[in-house]
Amino acid sequence: MRRLLRFAPAVLVATLALLGPWLAPHPIDEPVTAPYAEPGGGALLGGDVLGFDVTSRLLAGGRELLLTALVIAVVVTGLAALIGTVAALRPALGRIIERVADTVMMLPTVLALLLVVLAYRGDSRGALIVAAVVVGLPYAVRVVAAAAAPVAASGFVEAAAAGGERLWWLACREVLPNLRATMLAVFGLRFIEAVYVVSVAAFLQIGPQPPAANWALMVRENGPGILLNPWAVIAPSLAIAALAITVSLATDALAVATRRQAVVPR
Amino acid sequence: MAVGLTRRRSAYLAGLLARRAALLVVLLTLVFAAVDLLPGDAARSTLDRGATADALAARRAQLGLDDPLPVRFARWIGGLATGDFGVSARGEPVSAILGGHLPNTVLLAGLAFLVTMLGALALGGLSALHPGRPLDRAVSSASTVVVAIPEFVVASLLVLVFALWTGLLPAVTVTSTSGRPASASMLVLPVLALALPQIGWNTRIVRAALTDELRAPHVEAAVLDGLSPWRVLTRHVLPGALPTIAAGAATSVGMLLGGTVVVETIFNYPGVGTVLAGAVLDRDTAVVAGTTAVTGAAICAVLLSADLVRAWATGRRA
Repeated sequence: MRRLLRFAPAVLVATLALLGPWLAPHPIDEPVTAPYAEPGGGALLGGDVLGFDVTSRLLAGGRELLLTALVIAVVVTGLAALIGTVAALRPALGRIIERVADTVMMLPTVLALLLVVLAYRGDSRGALIVAAVVVGLPYAVRVVAAAAAPVAASGFVEAAAAGGERLWWLACREVLPNLRATMLAVFGLRFIEAVYVVSVAAFLQIGPQPPAANWALMVRENGPGILLNPWAVIAPSLAIAALAITVSLATDALAVATRRQAVVPR
Repeated sequence: MAVGLTRRRSAYLAGLLARRAALLVVLLTLVFAAVDLLPGDAARSTLDRGATADALAARRAQLGLDDPLPVRFARWIGGLATGDFGVSARGEPVSAILGGHLPNTVLLAGLAFLVTMLGALALGGLSALHPGRPLDRAVSSASTVVVAIPEFVVASLLVLVFALWTGLLPAVTVTSTSGRPASASMLVLPVLALALPQIGWNTRIVRAALTDELRAPHVEAAVLDGLSPWRVLTRHVLPGALPTIAAGAATSVGMLLGGTVVVETIFNYPGVGTVLAGAVLDRDTAVVAGTTAVTGAAICAVLLSADLVRAWATGRRA
């Protein structure tokens, strides 16, 4: 029950972000107030740089961020599960994988983001997802490989390998089912990192362009008016913080559960 | 015996050096490949929209964009070794741009790193010494919270509290004629915005490393020998925890340098991050590649020093 309580805030924030666009009281691309108007009248949080309703843009600005981060976290976790398990089952290959991961890790996230997004032609959301996957994968692979190594060395996997089972069978049927808790924790951590990458990209105006509503973009475009209507900057900042913090608390609860499980002898 | 040991040790160190150098070359190749694939090119983006085809061709020739790829790559790598980073699309030497802005970024990131390590060692040390107490629990929740928040969110909340509501600190950096921030107070908020997430990250590492080390038998023996807590901490606990702490700190340097791109943009700080953000929008290959090369070299050097700390600490223990 207590564990459920630690997941509730994350579920609440995510639900609000997903349903937000339908709850918005005003259209997100028509002026309702004067630019940077203070809260009042029909606008609960005032107006933004163009006089659009901050409340409506706040409600509308989370869904794409959330969904893009979700796609990234799913792809990274899935790839890391396969690559990390294979690295643990085939140590020679594992050493090469570790070297490659070391190299990619050296690139600061923001720099990698800028490079991949620009080198990629066409759809910017696709480019953003590719960039975030490239940056996030090495960390996830290392965690999975470290967790899979003891499982890969255990008797039942060796027996299956000696019985002539193929690599993909060993990875998917013998090793991965024992790593469920680790994979959930990896997924949580990668989701938080993905929120970071996607919102920093939006802040640097890679990806969604105005007039699209996006929390990170709102912080950037309303920054100059922070004196006139602070809520146009504070509200989206708090929204990003709330999403990141609630998910990270949920992941922490998972990590504790993982540790408890690790103590139980297999 | 001693000579053999020294030789083995220097071979080990040479191996470390070679591996980090190889990583740097791979990184530089990746950077050049990624930047070279950019759609659109520097010639078009620096000329007016109505420029004639002739003017475009002349600019392309002037910038050396028509040479084959291997020639451009060899010229770029060869130039790096001699400190020649090429010419930006606006005709300024990249080394001059970096020379003007790099000291500011080094100052900002260096201060942020200092604050990060002092804060992480103090908070991590206090919570490791009092596990389970209210202080430990507070530090643990606070670090969970700050680690997850992007720097620009931290920055805008800091600006709100310290610049707008209390008026204690300036919200933007004013650059003096020398190209440096005009006053020290302008550094406080950017440094805090960079350091706070990193303090959260490193506090957890310091706490975990110290907790593991405090449980080790040799530390227990030192406590039972009646050594003072300070001596136990500095002589018996820290050396063992140092490799882990150094690895965390090395990772933080990369993240701090990445963070400068965002934080410098928010505070209008005259550093490399602001230059980089502009150069990427201008498709200015030379500037992006030069900046990444310098950053990559700096990160390689930091990783190498973390390796050396680890080698030194394990050598001591053996």
